Amino acid sequence: MQSVGDDLIGVEVSSPRAAQSLADQLRAGAAWLEVVAGIDSVVVRYDTLNIDRDAARNLLKNAQRELQDVSEQQATLVEIPIVYGGDAGPDFATVCEQLQMSAEAFVALHTAGEYEVDMLGFTPGFAYIGGLDSKLRVPRLKEPRVRVAAGSVGIADGRTGLYALQGPGGWPLIGYTALPLFDAAAANPFILKAGMKIRFVVADRS
Amino acid sequence: MTIRILKPGLQTTIQAAPRTGLRHLGVPASGAADPLSMALANRLVGNGPFAPALEVTLTGMAFEAQLEVSLAVTGATAKCTINERAVPQHETLQVNAGDQVVIGTAEHGARSYIAFAGGLVASDILGSSSTYLPAGLGGHQGRALRRDDRLALDRPTCVAQPMRTPDEFKPPMLVSWTLRAGRSCETNLLLEPEKLYDRRFEIGDRSDRMGMKLEGQKFDIRSEGRMPSAPVFPGIVQCPEDGELFMLSVDAQTTGGYARVAKVIRADLHLLGQLRPGNRLTLIERTDAAAQVELLKKHAYWQAWLPDIAWVI
Repeated sequence: MQSVGDDLIGVEVSSPRAAQSLADQLRAGAAWLEVVAGIDSVVVRYDTLNIDRDAARNLLKNAQRELQDVSEQQATLVEIPIVYGGDAGPDFATVCEQLQMSAEAFVALHTAGEYEVDMLGFTPGFAYIGGLDSKLRVPRLKEPRVRVAAGSVGIADGRTGLYALQGPGGWPLIGYTALPLFDAAAANPFILKAGMKIRFVVADRS
Repeated sequence: MTIRILKPGLQTTIQAAPRTGLRHLGVPASGAADPLSMALANRLVGNGPFAPALEVTLTGMAFEAQLEVSLAVTGATAKCTINERAVPQHETLQVNAGDQVVIGTAEHGARSYIAFAGGLVASDILGSSSTYLPAGLGGHQGRALRRDDRLALDRPTCVAQPMRTPDEFKPPMLVSWTLRAGRSCETNLLLEPEKLYDRRFEIGDRSDRMGMKLEGQKFDIRSEGRMPSAPVFPGIVQCPEDGELFMLSVDAQTTGGYARVAKVIRADLHLLGQLRPGNRLTLIERTDAAAQVELLKKHAYWQAWLPDIAWVI
């Protein structure tokens, strides 16, 4: 357990799934203003006027202790069509070069995998999709972009990321999807959920 | 009955309360970048602290009232006029149908707030009517205002007793700012963490509601751009690979992969909304326990003018 700020406490966990489980459990209680899972951590924000730091830490400790076995969820499979490279995937060529791989080999490997949504976050609907082949591992951009277009697909650190909305971004972009990932007008505006199974397919350009 | 936008300025949006409890779905806080100034404007027209109001950025704006209503302007200092006659900030003002209101270029501070008695009508989504521009949520059609937009007022009223913010409750708008901040979880990745404090930074040109670059000091950091994505919040100071700090604000993303090296204390978060490019900034170190003392002190001070201060700061 560690301090992330004067009203933030972080807990480290072993996996994205454990992070989601702990976060779900914490969210069921009323103590926290925000409960946000990362890849290997959960951070809570709390009202420092109502809960003192020691009490907050104890609540977290108990939740960690009570955390049940993290079970496999019944998951929906979603197919996501991707256009690789081109204007909407400006880093595709560089990434292939970095990985010393042809474009065809990259696409074959990326579409072969079975993936899972590890978490949503960053901006509304941004999905962190785990399960990327270790041969496709590249780091984030050193200088993040100020604007990344909605629908952009990036990879970094063993994950694929889907940008539901335009905004800043630090992941090398390999392509884009026309599948809408966030619909502000819908009753449930978030198309993807943590735990969903994902397959990437090459988009039909017609 | 509406107000009609004559000049939208650089970026004028409707802001209200922050969105809370949805960061795990990627939904940022939004709301006024300086919620204290917005609460002060709302106070002068008899609204609750988060009644939807206009947030005006740097270059000012202009509108025409098409009805009789009370309003108030706070935040960044700027010359304000009604029908070309100068009017003060931090006072209840009265406009009639056909009156033209101009908020001039901000002299000090970055954002002015205009509150209308009864509040603006705004689209409520995901628990708040604050505008979040990257996703087109809330406010007026989810976007910054444009010329000829017409904004409806919720229950326009005229305040019977005009008010003035007492001088001791007018937040000073500065050129050199000081924020209190403390450790975050990856502070120890900095080779020289002591350089965070008591040094002068300059607010970079890359500065908006998501956050701002802190220039003037470069940091060496032990990491290779491979930090697992982790939760971030307004007030967190990140150190990307280039060693130049980035301080997150109200529209900041909910998770990020850069090292979290400091966090501005809760009591000072409202000041982030007034920092503008070229302003100087010094961070002063506070422990979590000291941060709590500062928060209680600030609340005790503001209680006398803003009874709802605990919601605002």
